[in-house]
Amino acid sequence: MTAIVEAQGLTKRFGRVAAVDDVSFSLDEGGIHGLLGRNGAGKTTLMQLMTGQEFATSGQARIFGEAPVENAQALRRVCFIKESQVYPDDFKGKHVLKSAPWFFDNWDDEFAQRLVKAFDVPLDRRMKKMSRGQRSAIGVIVGLASRAELTFLDEPYAGLDAVARHRFYDLLLEDYVTHPRTVVLSTHLIDEAAGLLQRVLVIDAGRIVIDADADELRATATTFAGRAGDVESFAAGRDVIDRTVMGGLASVTLAGLSDDDLRAAAAAGLEASPVSLQELIVSRTGGFEREEKSA
Amino acid sequence: MTATAIAPSSPVTGAPTRILSVVRMHIANPIATLVVPWVVTLAIFAINLAIWLMVANAAGGVENLDEGAFQYNGGVSWIVFFMTVVAVQAMNLTFRFALGFSVTRHDFYLGSALYFVMLSLLYSTGITLLAGIERATDGWGVSGAFFAPWGLESEPLATVWLLYLMAMLLFFFLGAAVATVWVRWQAYGLYAFFIGLALLVVGGGWIITATESWAQVGEFFASTSLAGLALWTLPATVLSGVVGFLFLRKATPRA
Repeated sequence: MTAIVEAQGLTKRFGRVAAVDDVSFSLDEGGIHGLLGRNGAGKTTLMQLMTGQEFATSGQARIFGEAPVENAQALRRVCFIKESQVYPDDFKGKHVLKSAPWFFDNWDDEFAQRLVKAFDVPLDRRMKKMSRGQRSAIGVIVGLASRAELTFLDEPYAGLDAVARHRFYDLLLEDYVTHPRTVVLSTHLIDEAAGLLQRVLVIDAGRIVIDADADELRATATTFAGRAGDVESFAAGRDVIDRTVMGGLASVTLAGLSDDDLRAAAAAGLEASPVSLQELIVSRTGGFEREEKSA
Repeated sequence: MTATAIAPSSPVTGAPTRILSVVRMHIANPIATLVVPWVVTLAIFAINLAIWLMVANAAGGVENLDEGAFQYNGGVSWIVFFMTVVAVQAMNLTFRFALGFSVTRHDFYLGSALYFVMLSLLYSTGITLLAGIERATDGWGVSGAFFAPWGLESEPLATVWLLYLMAMLLFFFLGAAVATVWVRWQAYGLYAFFIGLALLVVGGGWIITATESWAQVGEFFASTSLAGLALWTLPATVLSGVVGFLFLRKATPRA
């Protein structure tokens, strides 16, 4: 497999603040991958660096093995949808969709029309008069119908309600199956998207803190519930990520367990359940105070 | 526009195709730049014509008015300034949109420049044609001059056309260059730019005064034909075009 997206020591500084700080990773061709992190963690800046919209302070970004900046041939195979996308003043929804095929070679107009119906977007309304959710829907439609070999979706469904978001997940997956490509999806709604993701990159304060296969990541920790005494004695000396006690009952999330550990837990009468990606990521990135950084 | 005739399904992604796509993006909604300016211009003209007819009627005929009474009119010049607005919008909003559609800065700038040139040709030619009609109809029957007003009334139509074309190109590329300063450096960039411009103008005036050259400057404007003066804007237009390109090459689309 070849790397379709690659970063080496990639850094972007705005004044004294490093929005992206010495980031290295690579993503293989094919699959839906997650770029997860809190607001302001550097997700958008990282995607802008990967699509040549931002200039790196140091390090290298590569797509299709080439530097993206001002690289027309490479960028033509890329679609980058971001929440903060700006539209020309007089553009209505229909003008966005009308322009798209001039820039995305794989544009499927029939699919776009289907998506317009699915998300119920008012195409005759000016982009700047649309609600946040409607603007997001236009972005989602372009992101999916462009069928670019490499698609970056940055918080693509801000302002969309739960029903529309799930419609998006379904349509993304359905279209991905018939038209496989590489999708990098950034979101802070981790649990919602978790089922889609193959590889997970977690960025925190500009640094990649987790770079792992989603299934492997889930397998790194397990939650055990049972009587408080049993739970405590089992957890003693092990790597505790999270701990909850309610009266006589307790649950504890443990990392780095072997098969023997799991059998021991079962023997001790503890009930094991998988950890959600969100809990795992929150415990790894949100559980400690971060240095305040000014924008 | 001829650009809309290009087949959309062409898989070719050479630079000319990409640049023409940018032109098409600019006129995806043609109302603002291809329809509204004509409507506004014709509306201003209609109002002027109505006033002329009213005055002529009250005076009991055009022959009772001073010669050239209806020749002092600047109504059409708005369209030249409008080009600056188009250029600023293009370099600011459309630039950020285009980069979101995977367009390179290079292709965007060249496509936009082509679009500016096409609009300038379209509007200067259109206004010159209307000026031709104006002359053929003895100033719309009332010796009025709207499309080629005072100062242009005795110039050949070719000069009228050249003057409009050069003025529009200048305002397009000047507007674009100033807008790229904004896109790249925001407010501080504009402060620096306008302070620099003021220094340049005052400094220029100072040098001319110090060398006692005002007479020569006056002489230049008096002795150079209108067509010659129009062509003298070309260096400034080209310089603005190059500067805008260099500025935009390193600009990033910030929200």
